[in-house]
Amino acid sequence: MKVMVCLKQVPHQDARLEIRDDSTWIKEDNIKFEINSYDTYALEEALRIKDANEAEVVVVSVGPDRLTQALRTALGMGADRAVHVNDPAAEGSDSLGIAKILAAVAKEESPDLVITGLMADDDNYSAVPPMLSQLIGMPSATGVLKAEAQDGGYRVERELEGGALEVVDLPQPCLIAVQSGLNQVRYASLKGIMQAKKKPIDVKTAADLGLEGQVGASAQKVKVEKVYVPPKGDTAEMVEGSSEEIASTLVAKIKELGLL
Amino acid sequence: MGSILIVTEIQNGAIREASFELASVARALSEANGKPVKSLVVGSGVGDLASDFASKGGGDTLVVDDALAANYSVDVQSAAIQAAVAAADADVVLVSNTPTGWDVAPRIAAALDAAFVSDCFKIEAEGDSLQFYRRIFNGKINAHLSSSAPKIVATMQPGAVAAFEGPSEGGTEALAVDLSGVGAKFVEVKAAEATGIDLTKADVIVSGGRGVGAPEKFPEVIQPLADALGGAMGASRPVVDAGWLPHPYQVGSSGQVVSPKLYVACGISGAIQHLVGMKSSNFIIAINKDPDAPIFEVADIGVVADLFEVVPALTAAVLAAKG
Repeated sequence: MKVMVCLKQVPHQDARLEIRDDSTWIKEDNIKFEINSYDTYALEEALRIKDANEAEVVVVSVGPDRLTQALRTALGMGADRAVHVNDPAAEGSDSLGIAKILAAVAKEESPDLVITGLMADDDNYSAVPPMLSQLIGMPSATGVLKAEAQDGGYRVERELEGGALEVVDLPQPCLIAVQSGLNQVRYASLKGIMQAKKKPIDVKTAADLGLEGQVGASAQKVKVEKVYVPPKGDTAEMVEGSSEEIASTLVAKIKELGLL
Repeated sequence: MGSILIVTEIQNGAIREASFELASVARALSEANGKPVKSLVVGSGVGDLASDFASKGGGDTLVVDDALAANYSVDVQSAAIQAAVAAADADVVLVSNTPTGWDVAPRIAAALDAAFVSDCFKIEAEGDSLQFYRRIFNGKINAHLSSSAPKIVATMQPGAVAAFEGPSEGGTEALAVDLSGVGAKFVEVKAAEATGIDLTKADVIVSGGRGVGAPEKFPEVIQPLADALGGAMGASRPVVDAGWLPHPYQVGSSGQVVSPKLYVACGISGAIQHLVGMKSSNFIIAINKDPDAPIFEVADIGVVADLFEVVPALTAAVLAAKG
């Protein structure tokens, strides 16, 4: 059994975001990065399969040198090895470009199961997992809150709106894109971190994967014109002062609403 | 010439409001670039729904009416959409960003080698290109994107634009698609469990988010304010994901959608999925230490402060006011 986990390294959730001078993305210098929160659930789900059965967990990601840190964290949590596609020629890939890179890796790895997060905390796209499943011809389910192995595949529960769940049977091999909250994610242990230093990270380029010219900025189908801070809503009245002053202003308002 | 194809979605036996919102977007694009609007309805016994939609914004509507399409399956939907794209000669495909939309739309983009943009709140035509506007970083930043690709698949955020209300010219046409050989098989839909915590009936809801920081802070800081105001306690998704509170407390698109007389958001940044669940509240007070938190965009009163100072002070003041 081989499980491939796709993960992305994203700016830390508490990072102070500033827009780059050319307005096409945020400034990435001087901020901390972390593994995309949805992908930590994906990795945890894979590690639980490994804990319960014999399974090899391979983490795969695309990104620059800083990505090594995220991959070491994943290895420290228990993944067996990593594939790092690190290539300036892959930079600026849109979601389909990233999906093509991951598909090329999946074709080399032939996993029995691919697990990903539902979306990325930075661009909020939720595009790559279904694209990847299409490109490698695997059945897929997104927003999965529960996955159970059964004869020949998996029975999964997809989150719908308002707490309803859709139950779907997927034959193996398949791709599961998990929703946040389906498990409690472990931390890397000190022993795990020490062991991770000896685990292999296989670095590849787009050319290694036979994708020269097919990915990266030149192959973009969607162009970022500009990112910007949303215009502030003009409805909110901002209240300032000491905690007591703020509290008394709020109480006066709550009285006006007839709730006190 | 091409066309703009609306992929409709059926929920509880009717075409969703979100599909009529796509009709609004498609009609506006059509006026700008001259491409006709066409639609797709997939299901079992959906002929009437399709002819109704054709006359209410959908235009010429392709119908995949098949017992195998009675329930959603990503493979059925994907096969139907790909056949419709070919039949309608579509170069723009519009889908709603719902749990079924985000499941299938990127697959279509990959199958067509098309440009893909998800969860837009605005799409405009400009010359031969489309311009897209969407939120990134959970609403902290917006992005403006463009594409002139020969095929484009885009999903719209439900509720971002008004539903199309006018009449439209159009008939229906059956589309035969081979739906056998399905990989993902629908089993059932499990309704949300009744839990006894019905936030939708509360007049006042005090909710805590990731900023509350630890599970024990909910009974210590958030619940006392809810009690003082005679209301209920709620939470945002990260709180439930972290296991600090169980799912019934969750306010948002995947939890409870509420509209109390007063909603107090404490340490909640305001990701779109939370805003969808509470923005129709009559009055919203937001307390957050990050002045850029998107929650302030929907708040009536905003307080940029440490919730651990303001919330206990407010609880004390409310109790004092009650005497």
